[in-house]
Amino acid sequence: MKEVVLTAKEATAIEGWSKPSQQRSVEILSRYPDKRSAVMPLLYISMIENGYVTEDGMRQVGLLTGLSPAQVQSVASFYTMYKREPIGDYLVGVCTSISCFLLGADDVLAAIEDESGVPDGESGGDGTFSIEHVECNGACGGAPVVLVNWEMIEGVTPEKARELVRWLRDGRPDVVNTEEMQRLFGGKRAFDWGVKEPVGAILPVPAFGPYGSVGGEAT
Amino acid sequence: MKILTERMEAHRTDSHTIERYEATGGYTALRKGLLELGAEAVAAEVKASNLRGRGGANFPAGVKWGFLAPAKPAYLVVNGDESEPGTFKDRQLLERDPHQLVEGVILSSFALDVHHAFIYIRGEYPKPARRLQDAVDEAYEKGYLGSDILGSGFDLDVTIHLGGGAYICGEESALLNSLEGRRGEPRIKPPFPAIEGLYSKPTIVNNVETLSNVPWIVNNGGVAYARIGPDTSAGTRMISLSGHVENPGNYEIVMGMPWREIIYGLGGGIPGGRELKAWIPGGSSAPWFVPAEHLDVPATIDDTDSNGSMMGSGAIIVMDDSTDMVKAAHRIVRFYSHESCGQCTPCREGTTWLERILYRIVSGQGRHADIELLLDISDGISPGLTWPPLMTTICPLGPSATAPVVSLMQYFRHEVEAMIGDDDG
Amino acid sequence: MADRELVTITIDGVEMQGPAGEVLIKVAEDNGNFIPRFCWHPRMKPVGMCRMCLVEVIGPRGPMLLPSCTTRVTDGMEVDTQSTVVKKAQEGVLEYLLINHPLDCPICDKGGECPLQDHTMAYGPGESRFVEEKRHYEKPIPISELVLLDRERCILCARCTRFSEEISGDPLIEFKDRGNAVQVITFPDEPFASYFSGNTVQICPVGALTATPYRFKARPWDLEAVESVSLVDSVGSKVSVQSSQNSVVRIDGIDNEPTNQGWLSDKDRFIFESIHSDNRLTTPLIKQDGKFVETGWGEALDYVAEKLSDMTGEVVAGLGGANNTNEEAFAFGKFLRTIVVTPHIDAQLDDGLDPHFLVGVTPRAAIPDLETAKTILLWAGDLKEEYPVLYLRVRRAAAELGAKLIVVHPRATGLDDVAAHKIRYRPGRGPDVLRELRGGAEDYAEARSALDEGPVVAIVGRTGLAENPRLAEGVAAFVRDLPGGKILPLARRGNIVGALDMGLAPTLLPGRVSETSAHDLLEAEWGPLPESRALDATGILEGLRDGELEALIMLGVDPVRDHPEPQLARSALESAQLVVAFDHFLSDSTQLADVVLPVEGFAEVEGTVTNIEGRVQKVNRLVPGPGQTRPVWSALDDLARRMGGDLGAPSAAALAKEIERVAPVYHGVTWDALDWGEGREGLLLPIEDGVQHLEYIPVDDGLAPVNARYGLHLGRVLYDDGVRTRMSPSLAALAPEAKVYLNSTDAKVLGLEEGAVATVESAYGSAELPVAIDESLGRTTVYVPANLAATAELGAAVAVVVSKGEAS
Ligand SMILES: Cc1cc2nc3c(=O)[nH]c(=O)nc-3n(C[C@H](O)[C@H](O)[C@H](O)COP(=O)(O)O)c2cc1C
Ligand code: SF4
Ligand code: FES
Repeated sequence: MKEVVLTAKEATAIEGWSKPSQQRSVEILSRYPDKRSAVMPLLYISMIENGYVTEDGMRQVGLLTGLSPAQVQSVASFYTMYKREPIGDYLVGVCTSISCFLLGADDVLAAIEDESGVPDGESGGDGTFSIEHVECNGACGGAPVVLVNWEMIEGVTPEKARELVRWLRDGRPDVVNTEEMQRLFGGKRAFDWGVKEPVGAILPVPAFGPYGSVGGEAT
Repeated sequence: MKILTERMEAHRTDSHTIERYEATGGYTALRKGLLELGAEAVAAEVKASNLRGRGGANFPAGVKWGFLAPAKPAYLVVNGDESEPGTFKDRQLLERDPHQLVEGVILSSFALDVHHAFIYIRGEYPKPARRLQDAVDEAYEKGYLGSDILGSGFDLDVTIHLGGGAYICGEESALLNSLEGRRGEPRIKPPFPAIEGLYSKPTIVNNVETLSNVPWIVNNGGVAYARIGPDTSAGTRMISLSGHVENPGNYEIVMGMPWREIIYGLGGGIPGGRELKAWIPGGSSAPWFVPAEHLDVPATIDDTDSNGSMMGSGAIIVMDDSTDMVKAAHRIVRFYSHESCGQCTPCREGTTWLERILYRIVSGQGRHADIELLLDISDGISPGLTWPPLMTTICPLGPSATAPVVSLMQYFRHEVEAMIGDDDG
Repeated sequence: MADRELVTITIDGVEMQGPAGEVLIKVAEDNGNFIPRFCWHPRMKPVGMCRMCLVEVIGPRGPMLLPSCTTRVTDGMEVDTQSTVVKKAQEGVLEYLLINHPLDCPICDKGGECPLQDHTMAYGPGESRFVEEKRHYEKPIPISELVLLDRERCILCARCTRFSEEISGDPLIEFKDRGNAVQVITFPDEPFASYFSGNTVQICPVGALTATPYRFKARPWDLEAVESVSLVDSVGSKVSVQSSQNSVVRIDGIDNEPTNQGWLSDKDRFIFESIHSDNRLTTPLIKQDGKFVETGWGEALDYVAEKLSDMTGEVVAGLGGANNTNEEAFAFGKFLRTIVVTPHIDAQLDDGLDPHFLVGVTPRAAIPDLETAKTILLWAGDLKEEYPVLYLRVRRAAAELGAKLIVVHPRATGLDDVAAHKIRYRPGRGPDVLRELRGGAEDYAEARSALDEGPVVAIVGRTGLAENPRLAEGVAAFVRDLPGGKILPLARRGNIVGALDMGLAPTLLPGRVSETSAHDLLEAEWGPLPESRALDATGILEGLRDGELEALIMLGVDPVRDHPEPQLARSALESAQLVVAFDHFLSDSTQLADVVLPVEGFAEVEGTVTNIEGRVQKVNRLVPGPGQTRPVWSALDDLARRMGGDLGAPSAAALAKEIERVAPVYHGVTWDALDWGEGREGLLLPIEDGVQHLEYIPVDDGLAPVNARYGLHLGRVLYDDGVRTRMSPSLAALAPEAKVYLNSTDAKVLGLEEGAVATVESAYGSAELPVAIDESLGRTTVYVPANLAATAELGAAVAVVVSKGEAS
């Protein structure tokens, strides 16, 4: 991995980012032979910093990767996980692809829309929720699947889905974690995950290592 | 016979840790490969194993490696984008035995004279990515990654890259674009990645499952692997069972058992005493199989192909007799329309048009002319509607959307007609 | 391409040949078989997206449906472009495209010249079977001052996005979203402000991108067109000039391999607006009591003839000719030398290079040498600003063809992103940099070793107006010693090389010959020529100011604006007893004239022009000039007669014949040989050592560097305040705000920040300008764009004093 030092202009561009995000940005840039490759991970960082992929965020990422803002926008808008509008604290996704569909995912989605009062594809509930149907998330054996900030819950029934919405709304957990939510609201899983893993997501950004919103212990 | 899942089944709580991995024979293949065999011999074992790619196209891994152009640097890219509806086996391999993949990656890189490998994990898989990252970090600590691995003089870095939510990035050239920080649009081939891939350099792309087999092959020899199962479907492979089955889940099987045994044996049959109506044998882009014709066909790559479908990603989606086949087809087409990258006119416009017509039909607005229209649009995306499909497109995504339409009309046309009923338009 | 091996292929049963590895669609087209296409463009990398060009290639396992734009021909290839599968695929693509395409052809600018419309007629299905609702977008949105985007019409061929990224290097317009939602769009608040945006309008296969200056102006079937050459920079871009009802309404680029390869800058494309400006001069004007009065040609010419006849020839001088045709320039020179009998002639305004160097330096590079260069040394102004089309050629060489580009310039340039080495220096320090580069000093060691890899093409000019012109010669002297080193000297004005070739320089006679060597020969043709030592532009202006000269004849020049010392130009014109101007507009200079004669110009006259490499090309007449305008040569011929002489200029064609006869390097250059048509690229004047008639060997005369507290880089910008730009409303709006650029440390030292007002003082004058921070400038270097109203007074000073302005 190569040594990366930001130019003055680049450093100024992300001055407003938190120190960890600044450090992670440098670390990310060091992982690729070509800095353009860092555009996707940096977009996640910009989501962490700004809540969603803002115009400023795209400009900043452009500066770090040598792209024009239009090029960054072109990349960001290709991928569904980069949200370019403000989103709620909890991004609730319901898989409605074929396997989940066969096992009643549409009813689960309807229950969530109804309980949260937020229609599919929208945000609401005073900024608590964004609800969306998503395509296959690789848990077909545990269908139907619901994701909260990309933390997965398998084998969800419409009733459990309503409980989940209420739990999020009333409890407002800082960290959402698969293990806990699976225990409370899940059913059959696609396969055994093995040992409990206490790390979860604190934002609607995948909770992964150098560029995600990894949060500590869930309750 | 289990190769990939033996460890995780025996050690439910810690199969992903380096301690467990090492305690159960992990990283011995690495020592053997790097310190005893040498790069050429490792490549030769993989070639001899007849291991075929598990990402969907079934291409023999050893043969692909042989195409790698001599230009340097060369790259190895692991395809962990797993997004074909019905498929969830790579996730299990990543979560439950990440070191197996890491060891496979190191051995493969060594064989290919690659010094930087990338593992592309779909963005929706943060936990698998995290387990893998932990494994990579541990491997660095142990000196299995980094410079002068095990004193062999071989250097390797591994970068894990998270996707952003786009099925098409599973297509290898789209994946490379995505890894380069571009839109995940498939590239025109030729040139194939082995000649001009990542950063225009020679690149091998292999699936997670494919490379997870490499440590076993190096330890036990390619010939031993080739002897497992039918000749052209050597080794074991992961299948993902979902839909209307009693026991959904991933199964590591030796290919060749008939479909009946997979659905009724492994899968435990159809829940609620219902009847089997149809199943999709290799991911949602595969043409459907029906009990009347296909239950006794052996589940091998060749037999599935010759019966007009494919083993694809190994995802088996089972539908019982309560299934509304028009809605099911619509749901699958909707997926491909949503996931089209948008480059090719027939895919971008055609799949969306198919989706809208099917939507009209399921919403009670169908017209009888729609049946021929659906087939004709499909024909415009995949001329002749044969399988494997001919294509008017750059990649097979567009044609994938025609498979459910064609299967629907082939086996369940009466259901479509019934749904349309008396159209007055 | 020329030396690629030929292979034989069969298309639809017909055998044909093409270069191995060429794409099938091109080989087919070159052999008369047109395969329909949308996304493919011969000057861009194929992407195979639209799928319109699918054909069947018969392979070992039967026919394969392949896009002909990405399939490379191999020997023995068999192709079917007419099979039922192909037809079905083409129909399919068209039907899919029309799903969302509005049927608004009658009101679409592209209607009548639209490949989608044409292909639908030729290959399309009958009726659409699409009953769902079409994709809807907000109706046309302006994405820049010049371009409108109608996303509903877009067929997503990516030609515009690829052009901006691949060719012009300003990726401001891009795809957004995915699948069926893909659209072409800019970033919010970042308009498509590219100097090349018009090309995307031209290559858009439908009416999705339209040009504001052309919108609703005409229908394609009403258009008349001629081929011609743009005179904006001196690259000689080939254009199609198009008119409707005697009005030029559009200019498109034409693909001429050695010059513009199809592309134009927006300035080339839209400057035609000035032709029909309301401010265009349409009647001769004579100044009476300080005011212009309209008059007739007879009266005006009589007046001039009488005044000139009262003077001895040598108190009269001529300036200009660089924006005219060779024929006009030739007539001007001949008029001055044989009718007025004066040697004081200059087409440059002391802002260029030694004329002998410009036309005579050897070994001389032609533009196509960039295609094969290993290393390109660019030591000139910012090409993007001064030579936009040449900029595209250099960008291509560096980005696509693998040439190593070395840019030497005081600040960041448009080519820095593709440069292998960037050398930035403080104005005045150029001679040091040259010495250090030549010697391989540590900082420049890598650049120096790149220069040892030939062939080397050096593009040399003045980086800024204040740069000593001898520096370019020093650079050229260095390049001559490099392996395969060739030199392309730059001078900015449109037909400057043509003007010099026509003898519009104090020391040159027509035909690229020096006064001293050709004087006697030409006298044999023309009769007695003036003997005294000729003055150059600055000498002429000083002579006028000091009363040693009495009269000035200007041909399309604006010295008050364009001479590096505007105050000198102004007082010269004010002091002169007689100033006569042939022009299109009342400019800062012609305002000071006594007689202004309105002449025809671009698209109104026929003739030839010569570009910087010495390529002669034909320009053509399409529309009559407005009002009483007439061709320059005809006015001069008339004037000569009134002065009792005979210019022998009955027509431009006759002048062309005379040039061919008396101007040595133009022997054999006839209009017949130049007329446009298939494969006609113009004629390159002989450029090898010794073949041309003037050989100029530059020497590095070891210029001393200039030291000053603040070094001034006075660089040109594309949209300056030049009169033709000002008279083209679409372009005038694009002129940048004048600012003084400093690096942040200097700004801090001076107590200035971005936006504050600074006073910049030079030896000639001063300006109050807002400050802009530019980190690409070294310490104590300031950059000021030249030729904007607010900076005009600064003049071409090397050194300036910067201080906090009054207002801040
Ligand atoms: C539309 C499309 C989607 C694909 N998705 C995946 C995927 O998610 N994972 C994967 O490994 N291969 C996928 N593939 C196959 C890859 O292109 C490629 O063949 C594979 O990664 C090669 O690895 P293998 O030879 O080890 O199978 C996909 C192909 C297509 C055309
Ligand atoms: S077929 Fe579809 S997904 Fe594949 S390249 Fe073409 S547009 Fe993209
Ligand atoms: S012209 Fe060949 S695919 Fe568009």
